[in-house]
Amino acid sequence: MKEITSSQWKLNLGFSLFMLLLIVLLMQVSIQLALIFALSLALGFTLQRSRFCTASAFRDPILVGTTKLTQAFILLLAISIMGFAVVANGAEILKIPLKLNVFPLGIHTIIGGILFGIGMVLAGGCVSGVLTRIGEGFAMQMFALLGLLFGTAFGGYSSPYIRSIFGEFSGVFLPDIFGWLPSVAIQLLILLILWEVTRWWHKKQNGVG
Amino acid sequence: MKRGLEIFKGPWAYWVGAVILAILNILVLIVRQEPWGITNNIELWAKWLGSIVGLINSQDITLNQLMLFSGTYLNLGVILGAFWATLAASQARFRPSKNIKFVLSALAGGFLMGYGARLAYGCSIGLALNGIASSSLTGWLFIIALFIGSWLGSKILIRIFL
Repeated sequence: MKEITSSQWKLNLGFSLFMLLLIVLLMQVSIQLALIFALSLALGFTLQRSRFCTASAFRDPILVGTTKLTQAFILLLAISIMGFAVVANGAEILKIPLKLNVFPLGIHTIIGGILFGIGMVLAGGCVSGVLTRIGEGFAMQMFALLGLLFGTAFGGYSSPYIRSIFGEFSGVFLPDIFGWLPSVAIQLLILLILWEVTRWWHKKQNGVG
Repeated sequence: MKRGLEIFKGPWAYWVGAVILAILNILVLIVRQEPWGITNNIELWAKWLGSIVGLINSQDITLNQLMLFSGTYLNLGVILGAFWATLAASQARFRPSKNIKFVLSALAGGFLMGYGARLAYGCSIGLALNGIASSSLTGWLFIIALFIGSWLGSKILIRIFL
């Protein structure tokens, strides 16, 4: 296929050198920050190339009846669960401090999730999708980022108040209850069931095949 | 040669993206000693920017502090990495929004996402993906709510644009 736009290899070379320079500079400040920056560049690259989007993973089954991205999200979850379990156990053995995302739960989790769900469909991408599309040059998601800045600041100030009205429970870390192996197994089983449900839904929406 | 170029030009299959993202996600956990998250850092930037333009009176955060947070580099990296990918495919350009409806929808959607994420302690990455990856019940509860929200959002979207 012939490209309509001219090749941007010169710009690409310049930008690549600039990124390399930035990573080298960051290494002078902190090796950890430089590594994280390099990894997040790879994350952005992958998100863009694979058209990965959490918003679509949740929205497409409802809006257009396709579940390919939903299944990819399930795969991402499954690998991450296993990887996190290995890293968490390794950190424990090696006595390296590691923080996991076990957050308090309550009504605010449900309300926040519903608002977030509405928001990501309206904005045409979840937060990572917004960042990716800004990199791609979409003006629409630059406005979404503006909305995000207002929303997070407003949410940051008001949510302690809202949480105090409804009350919140301390987070439930499944391995504390079931142990590591059973909780990983239970979660993978749930993902497997969800996988089958999405397959069934896809067939139902698009006919057999 | 043709095959090599495919990596940069054509979109990757979703499952390929999922596997690579999962590996990178785990590597971030190892290097950062904390899972990948996005909105916590956006809130800090919002507070700093807000105090610069005088919208809020917040002295909690300085630019120097922001530039030493790993979250800053995670968010910046995702934007620049996506730009890099479009550049490598020779597709980099500004894509303006012609429809005012899209702009307003994006603004409102962004606001709802930001507010919801701060209320629930995380976004679709920090709470849905990495809450579940951390084997936390909150993550599972959040994706159920996300699904309900997406359904409502789709209804609204159809109302606005059709």
